[in-house]
Amino acid sequence: MRTAKATVGSPTAVTREYRRTPFGRKLWHQRQLALMSVPMLLYILLFNYSPLWGWITAFMNYKPSVPLFENEWVGFQNFVWLFGKPEFLRAIRNTFAMAAINLVFGFVFPIALALLLNEIRSLRFKRTVQTVTYLPHFLSWVIVVGIAQTIFAGDGAINRMILALGLAEKPVFFLGEGKYFWWLVGGINLWKECGWNTIIYLAAMASIDPALYEAAEMDGAGRFRKMFHITLPGIKSTFMVLLIMNIGYLMEAGFEIQYLMGQNVVMDWSQTIDIFALKYGINKGQYSRAIAAGIFKSLVSITLMLSANFIAKRMGEDTLL
Amino acid sequence: MLRVTKASVESLMILMEEDENMRKLVSLLLLVAMLGTLPVLPAVAEGAQEPLTVTVFVGEARDQPTSDNKIFKKIEEEFGLKFEFEFLAGDLNETLGVKIAGQDYADLMDGGNYAEKLIEAGALIDLMPYISQEKTPNIYAYIEPYLGRLLNDAGQLFIIPNYGRYYNTEEYGMNYVNGPAFFLQKKVLAWAGYPMIKTLDEYFDLIERYVAANPTNDKGAKNEGFAILCDDWRAFCLFNPVQHLMGRPNDGDVIVDIDNNYKTEAYVIQDYAKPYYKKLNEMYHKGLISQDTFVMNYDQYIAKLSSGTVVGMFDQAWDFNNATDALKAAEMFDSTYQGLPIVYSAEQAGKEITEHYLNGTVINVNRGFGISVNCQHPERMVQFMEKMLDDEWQKIIWWGVEGEDYSMENGRFVRTYDQIQNAANAVWRNANSAYVLTNSMPKKQGEMDDGNKWDPLVQPECYYLMMNDYDKDFLTHYNMKRPLDFFNDPIKLAPYGEAWQIDSTVNQDANDAKLAFQDLERKMLPQIIMCEESEFDAKWDAFVTAVKDIPITDFVDFMQEQILNLVAKNTAK
Repeated sequence: MRTAKATVGSPTAVTREYRRTPFGRKLWHQRQLALMSVPMLLYILLFNYSPLWGWITAFMNYKPSVPLFENEWVGFQNFVWLFGKPEFLRAIRNTFAMAAINLVFGFVFPIALALLLNEIRSLRFKRTVQTVTYLPHFLSWVIVVGIAQTIFAGDGAINRMILALGLAEKPVFFLGEGKYFWWLVGGINLWKECGWNTIIYLAAMASIDPALYEAAEMDGAGRFRKMFHITLPGIKSTFMVLLIMNIGYLMEAGFEIQYLMGQNVVMDWSQTIDIFALKYGINKGQYSRAIAAGIFKSLVSITLMLSANFIAKRMGEDTLL
Repeated sequence: MLRVTKASVESLMILMEEDENMRKLVSLLLLVAMLGTLPVLPAVAEGAQEPLTVTVFVGEARDQPTSDNKIFKKIEEEFGLKFEFEFLAGDLNETLGVKIAGQDYADLMDGGNYAEKLIEAGALIDLMPYISQEKTPNIYAYIEPYLGRLLNDAGQLFIIPNYGRYYNTEEYGMNYVNGPAFFLQKKVLAWAGYPMIKTLDEYFDLIERYVAANPTNDKGAKNEGFAILCDDWRAFCLFNPVQHLMGRPNDGDVIVDIDNNYKTEAYVIQDYAKPYYKKLNEMYHKGLISQDTFVMNYDQYIAKLSSGTVVGMFDQAWDFNNATDALKAAEMFDSTYQGLPIVYSAEQAGKEITEHYLNGTVINVNRGFGISVNCQHPERMVQFMEKMLDDEWQKIIWWGVEGEDYSMENGRFVRTYDQIQNAANAVWRNANSAYVLTNSMPKKQGEMDDGNKWDPLVQPECYYLMMNDYDKDFLTHYNMKRPLDFFNDPIKLAPYGEAWQIDSTVNQDANDAKLAFQDLERKMLPQIIMCEESEFDAKWDAFVTAVKDIPITDFVDFMQEQILNLVAKNTAK
């Protein structure tokens, strides 16, 4: 026990040497923090980096029953197959379209809601609205999609309303026509996540120095002027960081919702890259094709995120990296 | 009891501290005492082997049997086997895909309708080395008549079929319709004065008249004329009807002309398929087919049928058993369904059609348990299945325990009304039947040597007892004894069996073509049914072109070749 204490108190020659370099000194100062991050680091290495080694199967005709290196190497054949398949090209289009809709909805509406909530004086009312709007976040997709399917069905609430108001002569086939699918997904996502997403903006708004508002008031600024000139610029850096992160997720248009809602009739509009990989890869036992699709997706995501980061840096904004 | 033990241990401890020799003695005594407190092992029956836990995967959603299930207890006593079940949760195809990727197999694997995937992935072992006339006389007798169809080209057998082996009879052996048919609620036939409905036009005409006269059912819910299930593999409800309308039994995606050298073609793109979809298009515009039918999943479909609002549909009876049970439980007997053998008129088909919905006895190729490569005791598993094929065990599997689940009267197996109700009750079965296991195991069907039927549902005594008064009355109006009497007698099975059983996963091109074909069917046929009447011909042509462009010949040629092979194999014998 005693010796251990001594080591902490008086570092050995080696650590002393190490502490001479600026990086070493910094690390030593933050040693508790560094130690705490080790489990996370291990977690990421184990679950996010080490599986990458399986990517080599994308260049094989991989059969799980055959030992790994006895599989036949096929070069880029799986990628060629992917890009020759119209379903895959459609899946790319669908993924981007739905992700873009989600991205725009996911910024505009939560920020608007956060701005409105921020202006509310009655704390109780504000809290209630906040709670009510973020509760759907905790519902599972199966339930949300079930509700949506009932509401948008041919004899569902929305169609009854449309028919009663005389807006259409026969029920609109929301669930079975491709042109509605992306917007339905966007809308349902919005309903589920909007409230949840406002939390971070509300937090950013709370950290704005109240003196700014007071000064603006002295200068005669009204509510809207304060919103535009203080609140919005105040959350700009939060906004930028989130934007860059979300651009990285642009290829993640979601999986559950398309999987649960995308019936055969609308498959041209509903299949995302993930669903394509599942359907043509895992379900058909063509694991290499599924992995090839996954690799493509990852590469595009990384490219997108790095370019967004680069552009943000050029514009002089806070960046992620 | 506990206190005494505790006290005695304490006194021993004191003794122990006193003397070293004593300590040794006490340790020994303690050891003996501990052995005595071990749980008493179940009395081991004669011929039992060392206990073994067998893991089982079943590709269907079912309930876990209770821990004191009486049949599983018997099995454990006799074979020393305990079973740990994993039932399907979610999508079967995906579950198997994930299992294959991880090589995560149970000892016994029932891959259900996708069992071919397991075979293709090398998940199952070849059973033939374990099967011979000497070692496994029961199993050998079971598969012997069908070896030509069961063994693959390399002479391997991966799955011993779970159903379709009929003993002592060539008869179809059913009293009820279990397979494909156009179904109609019984009350609709009653409403129309019990007519015989034979053609497609008559069928839809009746639906139309009925829904016009009864827009809602007696509970006030809106009636729906005709439902089409399009969910996943069950979308056969969308494309299979055409072959039956043309007077053929179920050959899956192709139709086989047995009079013309087994010429095989994909029927959905032929000219004779068009009148059916044209009819559906017409019905859609008349409001008899709801748009929601194309986007509902299987659960929603069952819920809809169970509510008694769906007047008619094409399906296979086993596919909606749950709904039938629900309707019976709700005593809505008049909303249960009667299967009808509907065919085209001569004008629609281009020739006179005789209906042939029913096939003769069909061995259920590649359906049932396979033994996985992970199983440590394949020999014992095969021997288990062998012993379970003994008549004594077969009686337990089909009928249960004598005196509890059935009784003998003058040499006949009979059940009381309550016993019949029990057997149909899922909760009762959890505790009193090994159905979840035996459903996937080889079973005898047809007749026992003494003339009783193996399947209680087929035993005439039970069947009539089971029928409710409504059904009896319903059949009386038709002057019939069984629901099956609506159909022609089963035709003798063609030498190739039923073409849906042919495994196309062995040929990558054929398999790719088949899956692309089914995708197109699921996607485009609903669009064709829903399109404006003026667009119908153009959409139809686009569909046919798209299918031909796959190219579908990859699949059809493969099937043709396989069918001819099977015919050659089975007729040479």
